[in-house]
Amino acid sequence: MSGLGCISGLGPNVPVFWGALEGGHSAIRALSGIDSDIKIRVGVQIDGFRPESHFSNDELTILDRFSQFAVVAAREAIEDAGLSSGGSILANAAGVIGTGCGGKQTDEETYCKLYKEGRSRAHPLTIPKGMPSAAASMVSHHIGIRGPVFSITSACASGAHAVIQGAMMIRSGLVDVAVVGGTDAPFTYGLLKSWEALRVVSNDTCRPFSRDRSGMVLAEGAAMLVLESEAHAASRGARCYAELAGFGMSSDAGHITRPDTLGISAAIRAALADAELAPDAIGYINAHGTGTEANDLAETESIHQVFGNHAHSLAVSSTKSMHGHALGAASAMELVATILTVKNGLIPPTANFTDPGEGCDLDYVPNVARAVNVDLALSNSFAFGGLNAVIAVRGLS
Amino acid sequence: MLQTIVLKEISDYLKCQPDKITLSTRLDDLGIDSLGAITILYELEDKLDIEVPNEVFDSLQTVGDILTQIERIIAQKAPV
Repeated sequence: MSGLGCISGLGPNVPVFWGALEGGHSAIRALSGIDSDIKIRVGVQIDGFRPESHFSNDELTILDRFSQFAVVAAREAIEDAGLSSGGSILANAAGVIGTGCGGKQTDEETYCKLYKEGRSRAHPLTIPKGMPSAAASMVSHHIGIRGPVFSITSACASGAHAVIQGAMMIRSGLVDVAVVGGTDAPFTYGLLKSWEALRVVSNDTCRPFSRDRSGMVLAEGAAMLVLESEAHAASRGARCYAELAGFGMSSDAGHITRPDTLGISAAIRAALADAELAPDAIGYINAHGTGTEANDLAETESIHQVFGNHAHSLAVSSTKSMHGHALGAASAMELVATILTVKNGLIPPTANFTDPGEGCDLDYVPNVARAVNVDLALSNSFAFGGLNAVIAVRGLS
Repeated sequence: MLQTIVLKEISDYLKCQPDKITLSTRLDDLGIDSLGAITILYELEDKLDIEVPNEVFDSLQTVGDILTQIERIIAQKAPV
């Protein structure tokens, strides 16, 4: 993993993102610019994001907000990796971008005009701007990726599945380099009302694994990574952050919203097996950690099932307590956090932690980052619909 | 009047002055591709409350072609 990019409510780039995680700073705030009849009142918006600082007016005509975030993060990732936009390496690369929502802002603007304002015509750019694959196309267009490019959607695990898909293409020898990650921009009227209806969103803050947790907190943003084969990275003298040691995927084949410990455990075990790791080799898990009772209990129980006695030696934290739940982007943001944990020897905390919730008996690294060397870590991601993806990260000696 | 509206819509799309555009100018010479032409027609349809049928779309090669088609459509709409 040779390049990282991230735009989130914690900041416009990876160094600011990591600095906030180190400090245990949460970006959860009162939402601004939303309709007064929306009951969801807090979230993680990217304050001060000025699209015109990143794109020309012509470019913006075809860039939904979720595509804007994707391109901004991808640009940072390739620059960080020392790759040049339009160069031969990227021309032969793959691009896989996860999204849970797609271009909802574009879709809803059109639907509002049709349904609410009684207009008879949809804007002709609605489809190309709002389609879920638009962000992948725009990343390809803006940084010159000409290999296999597509989107993956698996709700809250979209980013992780995208990373895994890119890694699989590199393993297979199809490509040497892949730009992968996730993006979402969910602060639209219809989407907020839909989340409101599910009654899982907090109206104060996100307190994963705490007794007084009140639900998840929505966020927007994107995170992108540059993956490359070891040989390719070595051939160009690339500076690498960490190794993607393995991955595991599973499906609960069960309830559409309630997580299943069997499915979660299967994904964790598959990641360990793929990376050829014993459970006690893992030092840190970046939890899915949404702050809902259903997730926190199922995730904790699954960690017990897989790790046995070692579960109590593990550090487990949820960085969603700080960057919020950016849906299709969340797992990519959390992978960036996991990589930097391994690289920097510092575990970001679970912010807003009060007292452990019933059944939540692990070391959740409450509120304060912990300096400790971690050689091997996991990033857990579990989606509505029971779609699970776990990525193992190994530090470089 | 109609010519002014068409020229203004195209110049707005291109973010240039209307006097840079003539009726004989080809759309592709202005860098207007099919998606751009569709977008311009969408705006004109909205402003003029008309509907440009798909069948005429491929015949729109120049700025004048757009004007001619719109004049024809408006004339057909007018009460006899």
